[in-house]
Amino acid sequence: MKEVHQDNKRHGKTYKYGMVVDLDKCTGCGACMVACMAENNLPFRKENTNDRLTQNFWMRVYKISNGLSFPDTEICYIPRPCQHCEGRGHHHGTPCVSVCPATATDYSHETGIVSQIYTRCFGCRYCMAACPYHVRVFNWWDPRWPKGMNKSLNPDVSVRMRGVVEKCSFCYHRLQRARNKAYAEGRRELHEDEYQTACTQACPAGAITFGDLDNQKHKVYNLKDNPYAFRLLEKLGTNPKVYYLSTKDWARKAGEVFVGNEGRG
Amino acid sequence: MDRRTFLEMLVGFSAGAGTGFMLTPVNWKLMDDVSIWTQEVWPDFFAGIPERGKVTHADSVCDLCPGGCGITVRKVEDRVTKIEGREGYPVNNGGICPLGASGLQLLYGPWRVPSPVRRAGKRGAKAWEQITWEDAIGDVVKRLSDLRRKGKTDSVACVVASDQGTVPQLFSRFMKAYGSPNLIRAASAEDTNELAMKLMQGKKASVAYDLEGADFILSFGSGLIEGWGSPVRVIQAHSKWRSDKNRATVIQIEPRLSNTAAKADKWHPIKPGTETALALGLAHVIIKESLYDIYFIRNNTYGFNDWRAMVMAQYSPEAVSRTTGLSAENIVKLARAFAKARRPLAVWGRGKGTTPGCLYECMAVHSLNALVGNINKPGGVWARPPQVATNRWPSVKQDSAARTGNSKPRLDGAGTRQYPLVSSRPDELPGIINKRPGAIQVLLVHEADPYYSTMDSSAMAEAFDKIPFVVSFSTYFDETAQHADLILPNHHYLERFEDVPTPIGLPKPVLGLRKPVVSPQFNTRYAGDTLMAIASRLGGTVAQSFPWKDYVILLKQTLGGKWDALKKTGYFTAASFGTPLGKFEFYAKAYEPVEAEGDSETYPLTLIPVELMRLAHGAIGNPPFCTKTLEETELKGNDLFVEVNPKTAGDYGLAEGRYATLETPRGKAKVLVHLSEGIMPGLVGMPKGLGHTGYDDYLAGKGASANSLMGVVEDPISGLCATWGIQAKLSSV
Amino acid sequence: MSTTEEKEQTVEEQAEEHGPVYAAYKPAKSRGWRFLIPIAAFGVGFVSHLFLGWVIFPHLLYGKKQQPIDFSHQLHQEAADESCESCHFFREDGSFSGVPKLENCLQCHEEPMGESPEEAKFITEYVEPGKEIPWHVYARQPQCAFFSHAAHVKVAELECVTCHGPVGDSDHTRPYQYNRLTRYSRDIWGWNIAGLKKKTSDRMKMDDCAECHEERKGHKDACFVCHK
Repeated sequence: MKEVHQDNKRHGKTYKYGMVVDLDKCTGCGACMVACMAENNLPFRKENTNDRLTQNFWMRVYKISNGLSFPDTEICYIPRPCQHCEGRGHHHGTPCVSVCPATATDYSHETGIVSQIYTRCFGCRYCMAACPYHVRVFNWWDPRWPKGMNKSLNPDVSVRMRGVVEKCSFCYHRLQRARNKAYAEGRRELHEDEYQTACTQACPAGAITFGDLDNQKHKVYNLKDNPYAFRLLEKLGTNPKVYYLSTKDWARKAGEVFVGNEGRG
Repeated sequence: MDRRTFLEMLVGFSAGAGTGFMLTPVNWKLMDDVSIWTQEVWPDFFAGIPERGKVTHADSVCDLCPGGCGITVRKVEDRVTKIEGREGYPVNNGGICPLGASGLQLLYGPWRVPSPVRRAGKRGAKAWEQITWEDAIGDVVKRLSDLRRKGKTDSVACVVASDQGTVPQLFSRFMKAYGSPNLIRAASAEDTNELAMKLMQGKKASVAYDLEGADFILSFGSGLIEGWGSPVRVIQAHSKWRSDKNRATVIQIEPRLSNTAAKADKWHPIKPGTETALALGLAHVIIKESLYDIYFIRNNTYGFNDWRAMVMAQYSPEAVSRTTGLSAENIVKLARAFAKARRPLAVWGRGKGTTPGCLYECMAVHSLNALVGNINKPGGVWARPPQVATNRWPSVKQDSAARTGNSKPRLDGAGTRQYPLVSSRPDELPGIINKRPGAIQVLLVHEADPYYSTMDSSAMAEAFDKIPFVVSFSTYFDETAQHADLILPNHHYLERFEDVPTPIGLPKPVLGLRKPVVSPQFNTRYAGDTLMAIASRLGGTVAQSFPWKDYVILLKQTLGGKWDALKKTGYFTAASFGTPLGKFEFYAKAYEPVEAEGDSETYPLTLIPVELMRLAHGAIGNPPFCTKTLEETELKGNDLFVEVNPKTAGDYGLAEGRYATLETPRGKAKVLVHLSEGIMPGLVGMPKGLGHTGYDDYLAGKGASANSLMGVVEDPISGLCATWGIQAKLSSV
Repeated sequence: MSTTEEKEQTVEEQAEEHGPVYAAYKPAKSRGWRFLIPIAAFGVGFVSHLFLGWVIFPHLLYGKKQQPIDFSHQLHQEAADESCESCHFFREDGSFSGVPKLENCLQCHEEPMGESPEEAKFITEYVEPGKEIPWHVYARQPQCAFFSHAAHVKVAELECVTCHGPVGDSDHTRPYQYNRLTRYSRDIWGWNIAGLKKKTSDRMKMDDCAECHEERKGHKDACFVCHK
């Protein structure tokens, strides 16, 4: 902790951007996925359009069940962006960062965001193997759009070339955009609503809250301490920055990994 | 020079060249350049990376469903790069649904009709000849004036998506001026809702639910968070129900564990088609235990005594339990919870509300609301006038040909003695044409896709072959357009002005203005302008009925004083419609179940459509982004999954992920089987909205269309299509 | 010994039979200058390739284009008394406008303001048909990079010349040279083909950004600060 603290000092003001997703409100509608795809120039294909193994998603909504039989079955949807694992801080324990041989992915202490630099990545996919949340996807194809559809591309986000890994960036370009505006207005600080991810903005249910987890004025600060809050696979020590809220015990349990008889009953 | 000298020189030169070369920057410079080439030039070759530029935002209103959400587009120079929900818009306040967010794919996609086109090959062969607007309008005028000369104006039919707003009204006006009664409104639950309002409250009104104000929502199969009503608004209401401040209990009655059922506080699966019986059963308990609003019943209703007698005699919890499959104990509990809630609300409209459904079911559910006195008050049901008042148009001028045509009976029998209640019966279209070939000579289609969205697709395909001339006003190459003879493409919704009437189900009036946020990408025109050009070329009273110079002027005049404010703010709203509470009438009529078509000997299972938020199934094809979000248990490659209970699978030898043949009296499809504990045994759930053949390869060829397996079952009272399912057989391949 | 003699004989015999190829194996008569041949050849190869790499290669790698209009920054700054910000301004959202659009020019040039033939060309070819001038941008960065003018100008208070050089003093637009492989301006790599620079404005590669960041902030900064 001490080391991290000193590190922060050297870097000046730091933020810890994170997300809280209220699973009780999430309806599984998929607007977050589409907003993300539209915002971040994600490709789509004719064949196997919805194939989860080969098609790229930065935000993906998982559907989990309590496993009981009809009519006691219950379903819960879990939207899953990159968890932006902090690990133990200082580049240790963010699973993908620690394995990348190209330093194409990095943990930023200024923002708490795990970056992915496509031009640096050479596609070895160690990070995909290392990530316990399957947030990383590989570009198997050249970025092709049907004629005319490139007009809808967002110039603030790079179009990724074939052969590199990509993942959710917490819409980093929106932070760049917000900072730009603040700087031009002579401010150094951002308001909470100035930097919001595309999924947060789109969610019709208002289930996603985004902000600085360290800032007491931000909504996420209190939400993450809610008694129903949990994080995915917390035991792995990845220290993710995406929190979930659910009043369903089974859903909270499903977010954890258990070995042997742990967690039963 | 001898060999040795040669070699010495060669070696010397090479060594010198090599050393010299190593001392130039060529190597590392090229290495750098090549890597930039792979990063920039190579992907750009495929993607066509667009330029940066000035960013602006523009507001408009979405058009992809009757939800009427406000949108804000983000533009970079003259390109639209994103559609977002509009903050502060009275319908959706910043939220957006997956379909709305995919709208750009529809704008820029290869499925746009680039200019007026004339069919160049066989129907449906996708061979088109681009023609001028002049020629295209000439083609239509020639057909229409021929028919007019022959006195067969009533053989022209027109299908529109709605009957509200200036554009559908222009079509309606055109039909009146031309002389045909056959204006057909695409089917939806609104047909039945309006009818129930007319019968029970004596009002020409639509149903609006104050979802935000209710604290107990009893949904009879409504896909509240699957695109029912105005989808974003309902999802936002759902979030309110889940917050501490406006907490509400949600009960979902549905045979399948839909998203709505999953998010409900309690899911009660019942046999599909028995919802009416359950509603009356609940009424039985409420009346028996005197939990109803006596004050309201006494002062504001008719016919309660007869209705009570019928309900008490026939719908005891035990009897209803036998019909519906829900235990008597649960029925009693549910009835008590509903009646004891402070602001209980029973909502109706199966799935997304795109099928008319059973009128008596709607009335039985509405009776529950009356029973607890929850009509025209906060947290209740409101009778909503059709739309915000706008300036009236001059009356239609009709010559004798028009008057004769208009006086003929409608082809679908709506408004005749047989079907006195309804104004159109869209699902009857294939039946009529197939029975009476030649009855329809020209079919005009605007913002609807009857070829795809009508039940019993093969009958529709057959009917299309019998219509000599089909004109589509579609922006996209949808199925109807693909099978048309002429396409007169309308501007895309992001390219045009249009008034947007109050969204479906909303209890407060909102008049929105759709504004062009991007210049037309293709050689398209306002459908209103095209129609007026046709009218003008037809001449006489038809031309005189359209005194406007163009559509935008008409729109300005129609909106009158509201135009300026609308252009500035994008919407007009008022606190409420202020409709007075009329008398409510109970209809004491024994329940006549609407049975699923097909005999249960040959077809032992029941197929029900599964409506999904991520899958559009109306006139708009599902854009690739939405299809991409489908679960892997809904679509795999080009095959869709049907859902069956593992118990059913065991009975019929079906296994997870295996191919099977799904057969109904109306059609057959190859499907994959997904075993789910979330569906009642004996049922087969099939996603609705796949199996497109229009648009292009990105949309078409994925799965099968549920409509192709369904038939039309006529509602015993209204005569509308009340189909909720069909008997089916599922056998493994 | 005997074996060696036999071998030598064999070679000579073979030389007689097969001609001069094997004759080459005969010890040569000593010629003192011979060693200069490879050295000279080395020299020729060395010099020619140095020339090739340093002089010819840049000509092959870079293509050259003239700007559509010969624009004088000097004239606009002095005669018209304009500062950089009147044409290169920040937009409301904090983004930088970069090269001005026609509408900016039109604020003054609705009518010709002088008698320069370049202005006349500008009016007839662009203003009248309402066409944007297809300027070639010397400082355009690759699409993977995000650059915030606001952060550099407003916060770090850098001068324009620090990165762009004294463009404002130029009287003529210099020819635009572009890399045939990458399509970007020669100014990014810098005009020195070796990538050497004397001043901060000579190069605009990532290392140059990092150098300054390290100097001012104490670290090179996270990748995401500039990459997108």
